[in-house]
This record gives sequence, structure tokens and C-alpha cells, in this order.
Amino acid sequence: MASQANTIVALSTAPGFGAIAVVRLTGPISLSIISTLTNKKAFKPRLATFTKIFYKTNHLDDIIVTYFKAPESYTGEDVVEISCHGSQYIIERIIELCINEGARNAEPGEFTKRAFLNGKMDLSQAEGVADIIHTQTQAAHLASTNLLDGHTGIFIKKCQKQLIDIISLLELELDFSDQEIDFTPKSKIENQLVDLQNTLQMLIQSFNYGKLVKEGIRVPIIGPPNSGKSSLLNAFLQEERVIVSPTAGTTRDSIEESFRRGGYQFRLIDTAGLRQTTDSVEQKGIERTNKYIQQADLILFIIDPSKPVSDFQKYLPNNLDDTIIILNKIDIISESQLNNKQKYFKNFNTITISAKTHNGIHRLADKMVNHIKVKRPKNENIIITRKRHKYSLINTKQSLEHALFSIKDNQPSEIIVMDLRIALDSLSEILGKVYNDDILNNIFKNFCIGK
Amino acid sequence: MKTDYEIIVVGGGHAGAEACLASARLGHSTLLITLDKTNISRMSCNPAIGGLAKGHLVAEIDALGGEMAKIADSTGIQFKMLNQSKGPSVWSPRAQSDKIEYSKQMTAVINQQPNLDVLEDCGTDIILENNKIIAINTKNSGNISCKALIITAGTFLNGKIFIGTETQTGGRIGEQAAYGLTESLNSHGIISGRLKTGTPARIEKDSIDFTKTTIQYGDKNPAPFSFQTTDFHPPNVPCYLTHTNTRTHSILERGFDESPLFTGVIKGVGPRYCPSIEDKIVRFKDRTAHHIFLEPEWYNANQYYVNGFSSSLPKDIQLAAIHTIPGLENAEFIIPGYAIEYDFFPSRQIYSTMETKQISGLYLAGQINGTSGYEEAAALGLMAAINASAKIKQIEPLILKRSESYIGVLIDDLITKDPKEPYRMFTSSAEYRLLLRYDTADRRLSEKAFQHGLLPERFYLTVKSKEKLRHTLIEYIQKTNISPTDINPILESKKESLLKSGVILSKILKRPSITFDDISCFLPQNLVDECSKHQNLKNIIEVDIKYEGYIKRNLSQVKSLANNENKKIPSSLDFRKITSITKEAQEKLFKIKPETIGQASRIPGVKPSDITTLLILLSK
Ligand SMILES: Nc1nc2c(ncn2[C@@H]2O[C@H](COP(=O)(O)OP(=O)(O)O)[C@@H](O)[C@H]2O)c(=O)[nH]1
Repeated sequence: MASQANTIVALSTAPGFGAIAVVRLTGPISLSIISTLTNKKAFKPRLATFTKIFYKTNHLDDIIVTYFKAPESYTGEDVVEISCHGSQYIIERIIELCINEGARNAEPGEFTKRAFLNGKMDLSQAEGVADIIHTQTQAAHLASTNLLDGHTGIFIKKCQKQLIDIISLLELELDFSDQEIDFTPKSKIENQLVDLQNTLQMLIQSFNYGKLVKEGIRVPIIGPPNSGKSSLLNAFLQEERVIVSPTAGTTRDSIEESFRRGGYQFRLIDTAGLRQTTDSVEQKGIERTNKYIQQADLILFIIDPSKPVSDFQKYLPNNLDDTIIILNKIDIISESQLNNKQKYFKNFNTITISAKTHNGIHRLADKMVNHIKVKRPKNENIIITRKRHKYSLINTKQSLEHALFSIKDNQPSEIIVMDLRIALDSLSEILGKVYNDDILNNIFKNFCIGK
Repeated sequence: MKTDYEIIVVGGGHAGAEACLASARLGHSTLLITLDKTNISRMSCNPAIGGLAKGHLVAEIDALGGEMAKIADSTGIQFKMLNQSKGPSVWSPRAQSDKIEYSKQMTAVINQQPNLDVLEDCGTDIILENNKIIAINTKNSGNISCKALIITAGTFLNGKIFIGTETQTGGRIGEQAAYGLTESLNSHGIISGRLKTGTPARIEKDSIDFTKTTIQYGDKNPAPFSFQTTDFHPPNVPCYLTHTNTRTHSILERGFDESPLFTGVIKGVGPRYCPSIEDKIVRFKDRTAHHIFLEPEWYNANQYYVNGFSSSLPKDIQLAAIHTIPGLENAEFIIPGYAIEYDFFPSRQIYSTMETKQISGLYLAGQINGTSGYEEAAALGLMAAINASAKIKQIEPLILKRSESYIGVLIDDLITKDPKEPYRMFTSSAEYRLLLRYDTADRRLSEKAFQHGLLPERFYLTVKSKEKLRHTLIEYIQKTNISPTDINPILESKKESLLKSGVILSKILKRPSITFDDISCFLPQNLVDECSKHQNLKNIIEVDIKYEGYIKRNLSQVKSLANNENKKIPSSLDFRKITSITKEAQEKLFKIKPETIGQASRIPGVKPSDITTLLILLSK
């Protein structure tokens, strides 16, 4: 049961395309969460405040915060509305930040439920409210039924079965120690848990891949001024299959063009466009660039090899794992300049092109496809696409972690089981509850119990 | 003869014994109706009390002021603490009992109890007025009126015994069954079903060759069930271990076409955790041997219980099969194994007070709730009586939470899970296992028992002073700093890693190999001396400290779920009319009619969103 005292968070505008999104918090710590996230101490009730929100010390977005003090709010609790840019990435980060600060994802209809329970709605609306929740739950249920029928559902069911089996082994030892049964050594249980953990990790990672497939791959083109960013974008647009319609979640302050290749949609973001905004100070430009780097799935880092290292060094992303380094302008630069920079980037993924003559553009596109392809899960059919599922899996994995720690710490089985049961509950959020009876059934089926 | 009582208990088994004693002790004029006065609290099956999770129940019965633990202590002939290699929350006491002495002593307690009469008769009809119990009709003594009726009929209602193709009526071998009550309850809308259980053969001691078996004793330092027991020196009578073999199995297989179990003659469902030997060899074909324990049925018994050989195959097959077992080549039957089928009343029909939802003043308790085991029955009988009394006195009922007792788990599971087979207590059924150690039963329950008037004040005061001492000592251990020079010699002797700087004592005690006694020299001597006077207290403190973090986690889980747990659902609510919950939830809720949101949330098939909807509708 959800506790009334919790603070919950949810996107309250319909997900998808839209310039502005509203993320809402309700519950006792709503205000303290937003204060922490914005480094602001106080918000006046009912007053829209323009401020910045930070993600891992970096500026994430400019937002408008409106605080509604209990009981003068939709739910009757302290409510905070965060208006942010309608990008999927930003919405998700903001929700993630709120969860890190102690909120949890709202269940379907939970805002309405609270509004009702706190007397914010007419009694005659009760049935209506219940129906809304019912409908939303049906929809969620349908989605999970679809999941259950698919490969991923079957796969997660297998994980659940494995976990039930492990719990059964431990419960067997606790509840039937007077039986003539060989109990499983802890080391074996430990191995099984580690295997399961790896499987879950794979599933969790599949979410990222699933998202890449579903939402397109965000590819900012980064580099110092005049390295050829705009030229590269144009080259792509002339050479590749361009998608004309705007993509869901496009932020309004970037220039974005998409093309399709190898089954993927690449969303090129030309950060050069930023120069035309009011930011005149270079430092500010770098800050912006960093923001795009954070949101990137793949970075194209482009340089003019004839320039010294100092020209591009400050633009270089910290982590070059997901970066392709493009040595541009091979139609004009000298061999030695090229060699020099190739040496500099010898441990990284580099390519030489000419954005002007389009030499190497197809090669680059292939490289980009390959870069995403290697992230493909072993079985491409097993991909989770719902954020809720990802969180359940992460929680499951975390509880397995605790259980593994208890095993290493030589704790008794009932302590280990405690965390495994929590893990099972988390996993069961995806597939439906497992009762102790199911565990006992499993024991009776597999072991000869009874004297 | 008196024909007017406040509370009448029908059935003198383990549930009935606790029920009638509790009722009389709570000040009600009480009548126990039993078919046979000489068979009160008989152990129909194995001669043992306690065991995994059941030992916990016995300790809780004790803390609530019940009788089972005390009698088990004084009639036990071998004691063992089970699961000692596991964590402390699953340690569980078990005893081999002298079943004749057990019945005798319980009968004596009942006979000496003021306020309590015993009538040898058979209850046949319940008599209602405005859907409320006013009397019971008996076979020989006519109507006897009452304010509350507690039925604890065990396996006796329409009991039917099976041995091979032979069937006979009976509530236990050699005892008549009881007729009338089921039909009477049915006619008032209470649904019944059939369950099955079985028991193995009893054999003659002199026909056993014990030299071919392995002798097994109990613990050298036995621990009693009851926290009230002092000066505890029980005998340590051994059991004997032997085993079946493939010859045994093939002989048994020959009887399968005469098995009432396999030929479908027995309709009732039996417990899977207590299968017959024929069931075991069918389901686990590749097992070539099964353990058989030979257990004495009383002190110096000539009769042994063949534990592990429960069967309803024909007598000659059973005997031929037994003769293949080492040590039992010449075994002679006193009683063959048999199966018994009996009526029960699915527990979704009772409230957590044990009162039926249909009929006011009618309580059902024990094996007729669909349970198995003496301990489960005794616990339910006790709770029924406490709550029947509370209702008459118009005070709050005693409803134990899942987070404070196995009894609470037991009753809640019975009501919400609608079990398909006889329900047995398992520690895994308790989600807050760490909070429910057997040695904390007094801590958890005695306050409530005292308030309800069942636990005598002097025992309650003992518990209180023990608690106070425990708190003081724990606080001391958590606050006292210890220097490396003082503690390192002890750590060294225990091969533990040494300290470089001082720490608090509790940190030392948290180390797995360090015991209370290891650190007691750093505690005030008078407190330690005081501590030794309480049974087991040193160990209790040690465990409390060692598992502190985990216990805290369990407690916070309980807290986070507590919000709507006790929110009442009015009995007038028609779940079928709530269109905004799932169809499955509608059906399940309608069938079980949960009393609280907590109960509703534990019914399989009811989803969290259904609960949300219920909460919304309830706030209307
Ligand atoms: N010769 C040559 N010139 C290039 C190439 N790529 C870009 N340029 C030129 O370099 C200048 C800066 O290019 P631009 O795309 O605007 O760079 P941005 O500032 O990074 O967007 C322009 O004059 C381009 O024509 C190339 O591959 N070869």
C-alpha cells in the first residue's frame, strides 16, 4: 500500500512533443526537494519563480517553479510545479532528481486520489475518480499484458522464477531443516545470485538501447568555431535520408536535423547554432556545449587539424568513449598536420573526412551505425522500454546486492531471504505479486517434504 | 444439571482445552462438551509438541496465558531446540511428549478449574434467535443455552477412516464420529468442505530390533517452552532412526489399486507437507530410501509411532512393507496407519476474532478452520475464547497483528488466503520473521494478555522486570566505551582481529564469535547476576544487539505499511457493485469479505489499484 505521507512525482502534461512540460510534486517534502535541486531557499506560494536546475553540478535547464502551499493546492498537500523544456531527456532527469531526493514515481491516478482523499473534490465525483484510476490501471495492465506475451515478458518471468527458486532453497533450509534433504551450499546460491544480477543488469541496459531505438540517437556535433560543424551537418543532409518532421522531445533552442541509417534515427544537433543566440561570452558557449554532451548518446567531435591543440582542447568532452573524433578538411590540410593530430588521438575512435567535398561522409555514417550496433543486447528481442520497469529492475538488483553482501558477511539465511523477498517484490511490480504460497508450492513440488 | 452457561465449547481436543480454560479463567461460566471425558487433549497423531514455527506458536500461547506450553514442559520426555545452526529467529523448540500423561494433566487442570463443567455428550444443533446463538442442542441432554458457542470439533465431524478398501466412521481410530453439527451449520448458511489427513502405524516396542537403528537423543541442556517454567529437568528418552528401501517401495506399490487415495475414494485434500509414504514414492520416484523415525508414545512406552510412514494402504501391505525396514523385520501392529476425512469450514467465513461472519456468537476454532497440528489448534481455540469473552464483556477484541505474532499471521492467512489444504504454520509465512523470535513471545504479547485478564499478574510483573533489565543492559552495552587494552586479550583468545582504538561495547558484541559472557565482565556485576536469573536472557540480549540493524529494518517496514492496515471495511459494502475494480478483485473480495483494508490487500488477485479505489470509496 502506498503510504499517504510519501511525496510523489510525475509528468503532468502528456508526454511527447511539446515545447513546455510540467513535472509535478505533491507531498510533505515537495518544497524541500525543489529547494535542494535549485539551490534556492524559499519559494513564495502561488508565485512563479524563474530559476536554474542542476544535474550533477551541471546546469540542466531553466525552469519556472510554482509552489502551492497545503491545503491551497490541487491535492491539498504541498505541491510544486516545475515547468521545463519539453525534452524527454530533461523531463526524465528532473524526475530522476526528485526521486533521488526522496520522492517516488506516482501510481496511475495517484494525484487525483490524493486530491480526493484530502477533500479537494466533491463527494459525488468519487465514482468518477475511481473510474479514472480504473481506466489508467487497465491501460497500464494492458501494456504489461502485452509485455508478458512478448519475449521480454517471458524472459523477465524466467528471472522471477530463478529468484523464486533461490528463495525456495533458503526457505527450505529454514522451514524444513528437520527433513532429509541436502541443502544447497551458500557459495552456490551466491553464484546463482550473481548470475541473476548480471542478467538484470543486461535488462536494465537494454532500456538504454531500447530508448535509442525508440527515440532516436542524440548526436551533438561539437567542436571549436570554424572546425566545420555546420558544413558537416549540411553534408549529412545532402548525402543521407533526411527526416523532415520534427522529432518528439526536440528542445526549442537547438538546431536539430534527423536522418535514418542502418535502422536507426540519428538526431544531429548543431551546436554551432548556439553562437547566434545572445550568448556572447565564449565561456557561456562552452557551458552550453557541456549540456549537449551530457544529453548525448553519441558525440561527433570535429576539429580542423591545421589548428593547434589549444584551439579545441577546452571543447573536448571528458569521456571520449561515446565520441567519434573527426579530423576534417582533409582536402586542404597537409599530411604532417594530419599525422600530428592522428598521433594525438591515437587511442580514440577517429575518422578523416572533408565536410566540403563530402569525402568520408558515408564512412562516418557507417561508423555511427556501428557504434550503436555494438550496444545492442545479445538478444535484440529482449528489450525493456518502460521507465517503470527499469526502476523496478534497478531496485531488484539493488536488493540482490544487499543479499549478496549478507552472504559474504556470513549472515544467517533468514537475513539473506529478507532482501531477496524485497527483490522479489520489486520484480513482481512488473509481473504481478508472488505470495508465500507460491514459494511453498515450489518447495513441495521440488523437494520431498514430510516424515 | 445446569442448562445455562455463558460460553460453551464443543470438542475436547487441543483447541477445546485452551478455549474452555481461557473462558473459565476470564470469569465466564463455561461448559465443555466432549464425546469422551477420558480423551481430552489426546494427541491423535505424533507424540510431539512444537517444531519449526510450531514452537513459536507454543511460546505465544504461553505468553497469552494458555496452557499448552506448561503441560508440554511437564510431560515432555525429550527436548530439542531445532534450527540452532540457523539464525535466531528460526530457532524453535520441540519436544517428544508422553501423550498419556499430557492428556491426563490437561484433564486434571480442566477438572480443577473453577467456573468450568465438563459434559460427556454430542452437540447436534445450534439454536439461533435473530441470527444469534442462544443455545446448543445435544444428543442426550437436550438444549443448553449460552451466549457464545465455540466449536472445536477437530476431525470428528462426519469423520471417516480409511484403511485400504475398508472404511469406517470415526473421529479417530476407535472413537465414534460426531454427526449433526455440520448439517446444522450448513442449514444456517455456513459452508463446509472436506479435508483429509493421515497417521502412521503404531507398533509394539518388543517387536523392534533397535540394534539396527540409529539412536537419537534430545538436547543435553533442554530449554522449556514456557517462560513460567523453572527448575526444568525433563527426561531424555531417545528416538530411533531407520529408513525404507526399494523393496519397501515395491511392496507398497502393489497396494496402489487398493489405495483410497489413488482410486479417488478420498475426496478431501491432504497436506502436502505431511504426505503419506505412498504419496512420497509416487512423487519422488528416484528416491530409493526415506527416513523413518521410531518415536516412543510415552515414557517407558510399549507403543512406538512410525514417523514417516503415514499410510492408508491395506493393512497387510503396510505390514509387509514395514517388515522390509531395518529393525522392523518382525514388527507387530498395535494400530495400522490410516487416513481420515472430515468436515471443515473454510475460514473466509470467520472474522479475525474467530466469530463467524454469518452467525453472531458462534466461533469456530482448530482443525475445523482448515488447519493441522496441535499447536495451531490450541492457538485458535485460545483466541476464540478470548474474543468470545471480550464480546460478552463488550470490550475490545484481541486481534493480533502479523507483525507481532505467528498467531496473527495464522489467523490472517486463514481468512485471506482461503487455503486449499490443511494449513500449517511456517516461519516463511511471517514477513517480519526477525521480530517474531520464540524467545520474545512474552515481550510481544504479555502486556495484551494481562490487559485481557488472562495472564496472572505475577507473571506479567516478571516479564516487565525482565524487560526493564533488558533495556538497561542493552543501553549500557550501547553506551559504554571499551579500550583496546581491556578488550584485546578477549579478542585474541577468540582469534578475532584486535582493536587499535576504543569502541563501544555493542560493536564488539556484534562480532559473530563474541557472546554476552565474553563481555559481561565490563557490565555492572549486579545486573549480570540479575540477568542470570532469567531464563535465556543473556542470549536474548546478545541476539537483540547482533541483529539490531536488521530488526530496525523490519520495524520500519512494518511502520511504512501500517497506514491503512486497520482501516475498517463496513460489512454492508457490496463488492460486486463496485465497477471500478477488476473483475477478479470483485469476486475475491465478495467471497472473502475482508474486514479491513489490510486484509483486502493480502487477498491474492486484489491489486494495489483496487485497494486505492476501495480507499476512495470508503472515504465517501
Ligand atoms: N576546405 C574545407 N573547408 C571547410 C571544410 N569544412 C568546413 N570548411 C570551411 O570552414 C569554415 C567554417 O565552417 P563551418 O561549418 O561554418 O564551421 P563551424 O563554425 O564549426 O560550424 C567555412 O568557411 C567552411 O567552408 C572542409 O572539409 N574543407
